[in-house]
Amino acid sequence: MFKKFIALEWKKFIRSANFQKSLAFKIFIGIGIFILLLYALGIGVGLFFLLKEQIPEKDPWQVVNTFIVFWFLGELIFRYLVQKMPVLTIKPLLILPIAKKKVIKYGLGKSLLSIFNFIPLFILMPFSAVLLFQGYSPINVISWFFGILFLSYTLNFITFLVNKNETFFYSILIILASLIGLEYFDIFKISTIAGTAFNYFTNHAYLIIVPIITLATSYILSFKHLKKNLNLDNLITKQKEVKTTDLTWLNRFGEVAPFLKNDIKLIWRNARPRKTVLSGFVFLFYALIFIYSKSGFNGSPYMLAFAMMFVTGGFAMTFGQLVPSWDSEYYQLLMSQNIKYKTYLDSKWYLMVVAVVVSFILATPYIYFGWKVYSLLIAGLFFNAGINSYLVLLGGVLNRMPIKLNEKAKAFGNTQGFNMTQMLIAIPKMFLPILLFGIPYKLINHNAGIITVIGFSLIGILLKNFFLTKIEKIYQKTKYKTIAAYSENN
Amino acid sequence: MIHAKNITKIYGTSTVLNIDNLEINKGQSIGLVGNNGAGKTTFFNLLLDLIEPTTGTITNNNIIVNQSEDWKPFTAAFIDESFLIGYLTPEEYFYFIGELRGKNKADIDTFLSQFTEIFNDEILKKKKYLRDLSKGNQKKVGIVAALIGDPEVIILDEPFANLDPTTQIRLKKMLKSLTENKKVTVLISSHDLLHVTEVCERIVVLEKGNLIKDLKTSPETLKELEVHFSV
Repeated sequence: MFKKFIALEWKKFIRSANFQKSLAFKIFIGIGIFILLLYALGIGVGLFFLLKEQIPEKDPWQVVNTFIVFWFLGELIFRYLVQKMPVLTIKPLLILPIAKKKVIKYGLGKSLLSIFNFIPLFILMPFSAVLLFQGYSPINVISWFFGILFLSYTLNFITFLVNKNETFFYSILIILASLIGLEYFDIFKISTIAGTAFNYFTNHAYLIIVPIITLATSYILSFKHLKKNLNLDNLITKQKEVKTTDLTWLNRFGEVAPFLKNDIKLIWRNARPRKTVLSGFVFLFYALIFIYSKSGFNGSPYMLAFAMMFVTGGFAMTFGQLVPSWDSEYYQLLMSQNIKYKTYLDSKWYLMVVAVVVSFILATPYIYFGWKVYSLLIAGLFFNAGINSYLVLLGGVLNRMPIKLNEKAKAFGNTQGFNMTQMLIAIPKMFLPILLFGIPYKLINHNAGIITVIGFSLIGILLKNFFLTKIEKIYQKTKYKTIAAYSENN
Repeated sequence: MIHAKNITKIYGTSTVLNIDNLEINKGQSIGLVGNNGAGKTTFFNLLLDLIEPTTGTITNNNIIVNQSEDWKPFTAAFIDESFLIGYLTPEEYFYFIGELRGKNKADIDTFLSQFTEIFNDEILKKKKYLRDLSKGNQKKVGIVAALIGDPEVIILDEPFANLDPTTQIRLKKMLKSLTENKKVTVLISSHDLLHVTEVCERIVVLEKGNLIKDLKTSPETLKELEVHFSV
């Protein structure tokens, strides 16, 4: 039976329009994953020695144990946002003589094949090997290795359980933020407590039973959860009374107002776009990594410029990347209604600019880090509105993936916010500001770099009509292909 | 009003539509009938420029549909659920279409009041998203939305399917009154020979992509069609 499921999956994969048109693209992604795993291996090998060098007074293994709790919380958030839950088309299987158990087992098993379960393995394996070579007790190292791996797999199943639960996500985010805050200001050190616990576990190999129990429990719970949800009642959306909101204040945007109103409803009322916007929000904090790491702030202003572009560009990166896929469910309507394609693109442009401005306002606290950082934020505001917005719309031409807006109702539903594929296309675009800022910075000074970025962006904004007309032509050319790809799932 | 000339659509090696010449006059109501795979929806998709013709052209009011977007202001269609926006309530959807066709909220409210019978208290003010309505009610919304803004060309694919008997009868009445003043051109496709002969003054029969019959509706038409399809 599993063999048949796998055959079905394989057919679904190779027969999708997206795959047939973009083999080169799949290869590109494959290379990306390969590099990622290579990095993981590198970290695994190097971590021990790096810690030994940085914190010579402590045992590296114990240091890892101290901070592993943060790794787990971070992993949980990352999994929630990015990990794809395996989608199995349930409806036709329900009435066939297949035991429900088998369908569920297959789904759960498939989720273990995710790249997110390989990354921990690729870090843990070399790290444990290094530990063995360093002469730690083999029995302790092995039980630790499996213990941590099992805990990571437990997270895999927890992700399954909470896939549809946004409250859970916010709670974890708040817990993580407050733990980091408390840790940073020396009020309450979770790392001490967790460190003691993990060290105790490390020294008592028989405690491997604990991760085994958590893994088994999480597996059984997900199994039960899915079994309960595996019937048509849950495929049909529970009907709730909906609240309608008055958005007439948006009418001042004129011609594009109806679309803006729709897009706000789209984000507000559908599981996937909501989550995507959420992941865009995370980028507001992105530059902090570079500011706080020693190498970023003083070492390379280029990397800082790069990071600051992300702060205001997060929404464009995550949501904008999938224009026009968000409208894929009713694309035929938009293509035959009384709409000029350019007006449609124009509305998406406005949406992105509004989001960039909102991100800019939310990012005001960056002022704390002084003019150099804040001026880069201003440059980012202009860059994202005047240049990146067009690049993102252009990227949409390449992307013909239909999106099911409201997958929430399905037991094996896929509600992931954004996918790695989109991220990987977007990253090269972000190198443009490094060039625009970096060259004048190198030749003259910081302010010259800022002025150059703003100057080019202003030209971009002034030439909006020109750029949108160009992009419209490309969209028009690929119109039929796009319609065909979007109707694939309908 | 609509003129299809030498129009073909070929996928790979199979020809799904091949019409030498089809002219539809302004104010005519025309019914497309044919078995599955006859090319009815393909023809509508070509007319709406949703797919590209392999050869030939279709003009709508002398505008070549795949070269200019100028036919959009006076053409409206409902083909299937992909013409609905699932996360809107019916009211919001009507207002949205209204805005695209230059009608304000009050215009739409007045417009909707004439459909109270058809809506049967199941559509308006129910605080439900379109995706949560039944197939039949979704269809009603789609058909009514296609009438917003006094379009001159209305295209409906299988309008009678999924509708309850009462609504089918009301819809027939509505479609007939649309073409009474000879200003609106209506194109519908249907598998229901009885309905389509009642509503349309002209019936075009398609078979495997070819136009094989073009009849002016008369009392004998239904009989003739029944004979044709009973082979």
